[in-house]
Amino acid sequence: MGWLRLAFFMYVGLTIIYFVTGIYSRSVRREKLEKEWDTDPAREGVPAAERAVFIEDGMVHYDKGLKKRLLWLIYILPTIGFLATIYFINWH
Amino acid sequence: MWTKIKWGIRILLVLIVGLFLHYTLPQRDVVQIINTYNKNTPIGGNWMFYSIEDTGTGVETTATIRDIRFIDAVYADGTSVMVYRNEDTGWFWPPYFKWDSSTLQAEAQNLKSDKTNPQWVAITHYGWRLPIFSIFPNAVNVTPVDGPDVRLIPWLNLILLGVIAFVVVMIRKMWLQFRERMVDPTLADVGDTFDAAGARVDAARKEARGFFGRIGAWMNTWRAKK
Repeated sequence: MGWLRLAFFMYVGLTIIYFVTGIYSRSVRREKLEKEWDTDPAREGVPAAERAVFIEDGMVHYDKGLKKRLLWLIYILPTIGFLATIYFINWH
Repeated sequence: MWTKIKWGIRILLVLIVGLFLHYTLPQRDVVQIINTYNKNTPIGGNWMFYSIEDTGTGVETTATIRDIRFIDAVYADGTSVMVYRNEDTGWFWPPYFKWDSSTLQAEAQNLKSDKTNPQWVAITHYGWRLPIFSIFPNAVNVTPVDGPDVRLIPWLNLILLGVIAFVVVMIRKMWLQFRERMVDPTLADVGDTFDAAGARVDAARKEARGFFGRIGAWMNTWRAKK
């Protein structure tokens, strides 16, 4: 039963890490979009509503993108490490 | 005074983390195995340096005496020796998930040799030998090597330390991002309000100083406005 307990706490922990990293990653992307708009001389004086639309479009794009899917590695890599450890210690 | 205490705490933290990693991460010794045996071992206050109870290593004759497998070995200099215990690890810490103590003991027995015709082996282990507490490093793997001078590169440790460093850097980056996007803007708002009030600016600045001051000031922005 030990392994069930360990797996349970490991995935609870990884889920917390997954969400915190997700929030961080979104925040970084949003900041990048804001800076992209604010530093573009062609967009000077354009109303703030358009800026908001630009940023929201960028975020929708991010939600469908590869980078967000890469966050699943937070679950995948520790699981691989876990199985690899068991294999190399006991059967190699 | 405070700087000295702060540095003291920092050095202590680094020391604790360093010792913890040194105990837990695998190391390899190039040795010659000279004996393998079982011994009923009393475990008392040093229980922390043995496997947790439900791992089923050998026979637990009573709650405090365990039948543990041992491996005696001698280093290349021919005089300094090391005693390894060979115990299953549990499902928690250290995360080696070792269940093959019997197999390992047989392998060690098979690689046993005498001084005239030495067979050199690399024993992967974690832990320390501290005679004062009767604690022994736990062997997790044994592989034959060509000779006593073989050069082993600790790839696994390099990778693990790299991963730990990456995680620390990421936590720092996340914290800085959180502060830049969440804490500082709210603080700026607070500052503006106080600017209007005039006299209380200094008090706010004082409050918002330093690491915990910033957190405290950020927490204050959640309080009901009077």
